[in-house]
Amino acid sequence: MTVQHDSSVYEDIQSSAQFQELRRRYRSWAFPMTVAFLAWYLLYVVLSGFARGFMGTKLFGEINVALVFGVLQFVSTFLIAWAYSRHAAKKLDPLADELRGQVEEKSR
Amino acid sequence: MSIAAIVLVAVATILIGAFGIRMSRTTSDFYVASRTVSPLWNASAIGGEYLSAASFLGIAGLLITYGADMLWLPVGWTGGYLVLLVLVSAPLRRSGAYTLPDFAEARLESMAVRRVSSVLVVLIGWFYLMPQFQSAGLVLRTITGAPEWAGGLVVAGVVAANVLSGGMRSITFVQAFQYWLKLTALAVPLVFMLLAWRSDGFPGLPPGDPWALPLHGREHPLYETYSLILATFLGTMGLPHVLVRFYTNPDGRAARRTTLVVLTLLGAFYLMPAIYGYLGRVYGLPATDTVVLSLPGHLVGGMGGDLLTALITAGAFAAFLSTSSGLTVSVAGVIAQDMLRGGVRSFRVATVLAVVVPFALAGMSRSMPVATVVGLAFAVAASSFCPLLVLGIWWRRLTTIGAMAGLLIGGGLACAAVLATITGGPDTGWAGALLSQPAAWTVPVAFAVMVVVSLLTPSRVPPGVARTMVRLHTPETLNVDRGDWRPRSV
Repeated sequence: MTVQHDSSVYEDIQSSAQFQELRRRYRSWAFPMTVAFLAWYLLYVVLSGFARGFMGTKLFGEINVALVFGVLQFVSTFLIAWAYSRHAAKKLDPLADELRGQVEEKSR
Repeated sequence: MSIAAIVLVAVATILIGAFGIRMSRTTSDFYVASRTVSPLWNASAIGGEYLSAASFLGIAGLLITYGADMLWLPVGWTGGYLVLLVLVSAPLRRSGAYTLPDFAEARLESMAVRRVSSVLVVLIGWFYLMPQFQSAGLVLRTITGAPEWAGGLVVAGVVAANVLSGGMRSITFVQAFQYWLKLTALAVPLVFMLLAWRSDGFPGLPPGDPWALPLHGREHPLYETYSLILATFLGTMGLPHVLVRFYTNPDGRAARRTTLVVLTLLGAFYLMPAIYGYLGRVYGLPATDTVVLSLPGHLVGGMGGDLLTALITAGAFAAFLSTSSGLTVSVAGVIAQDMLRGGVRSFRVATVLAVVVPFALAGMSRSMPVATVVGLAFAVAASSFCPLLVLGIWWRRLTTIGAMAGLLIGGGLACAAVLATITGGPDTGWAGALLSQPAAWTVPVAFAVMVVVSLLTPSRVPPGVARTMVRLHTPETLNVDRGDWRPRSV
């Protein structure tokens, strides 16, 4: 159930150092990471366009660098999601719990 | 034998649906029932709903023609979940909005924006349903020689019956079952085909075949690849049947764990169409959407080949039925709630509308590779809901007018490109590339319009934005009043 607070509670939460820190931690991870993984995917396309010899290098049998890169895209997608999960569990959840503890104390 | 497989899947779907009615009846059950479900089970359900005809049949056909470039389709369809997880899922869960129109209304406090979002959800759903029906027609024709509309009619009928009886709404189980059926239906024949390939002495590609090289075979491969990446990565978050599944987790932590399992399941699945495509190329099979069906008969032959074909047919119909059911529920819900008066009767009318329109579209439009057409639905989602969600969640200064303009212009342009493509627009030259892969220009246009118009209309920032932002960004374990906005139930 939701507890009704008077409106000052929002401002308190909004301006509290912990809330700002929580948003900062979330954003400072999510935004650069999004840029980084989009860059990683686009790197593949750029290499395909401008380093065709490299991408076509055969590693074993008919498997060339391009195909290995392709499979690595799947692996990296999973790794990033796993990293996010760990980041959230380690850095975000404890802070959120701390914030909750404080608000509950105040509204008691 | 393949016909028996189709009948079996259809009957099983209806039966499981019918039993489900007894288990749960109300809308909230649909969202809450699976909260007791483990991440693996839940993730299987997400995978089951997500892997459509495009994944099951379409990728292999395109891979034969265009080679390694087409690996972007599965990578993008998987990566879209990652973008959704990192940028959107947590705040969206906290908003309490079950659907995209709910979110639009809650964030922008405007019924007009809500209505535009509803129309877009319905259009995206129809664009996504249409190729499912077309593929069903293609598969049934390949197996029995029945006219092309017949297969679509079977799928549309089963889905409508199932949704009308309420069966599909609550059953995480059905969708989870469909994932494992689809996986088995591709994996078992693959094992036999690889054995046959070995006994043939591992034939390879003809010398000099550029198949494994990226960027070949299309007129503007670089542009089309960028466009494909944008559409799939950013479009996934705007698909009506994807979002709702994020509520079937008890908390954010479980949602993250579920996403990890989903990525694993999707990755495991998507390796197989790639191998099908390679084998199809090696054995010189025609590059169509039915290559997945004809490959085992070609390699294994005899009774074994027939059995494997029947198994793949069952998997294909599982793909049509599961995706179409999920989409139909979402589309019908939006039609009933926002365009009709709501209530049970409206939901019935809406279900019929949700199925009949794409069925008619499937009959009218020309036949194109299913994965290409599904890609168009992703492009519309990426050019409308992606900016709405990302800016709505992360940018305070988004205004009602700005959101509206971005949705209308971005979504409108993308829809126009889709209609031009499916009704027979230009296939060649830059015009063909820009229309058949619109995301690379419509997504930036949509973002730009939303930002610029918002900056020009600063007085139209929704009054409750401070409260909405606290609601979106405060950890959900925090027990505060997040405002009185609640989604209305169907």
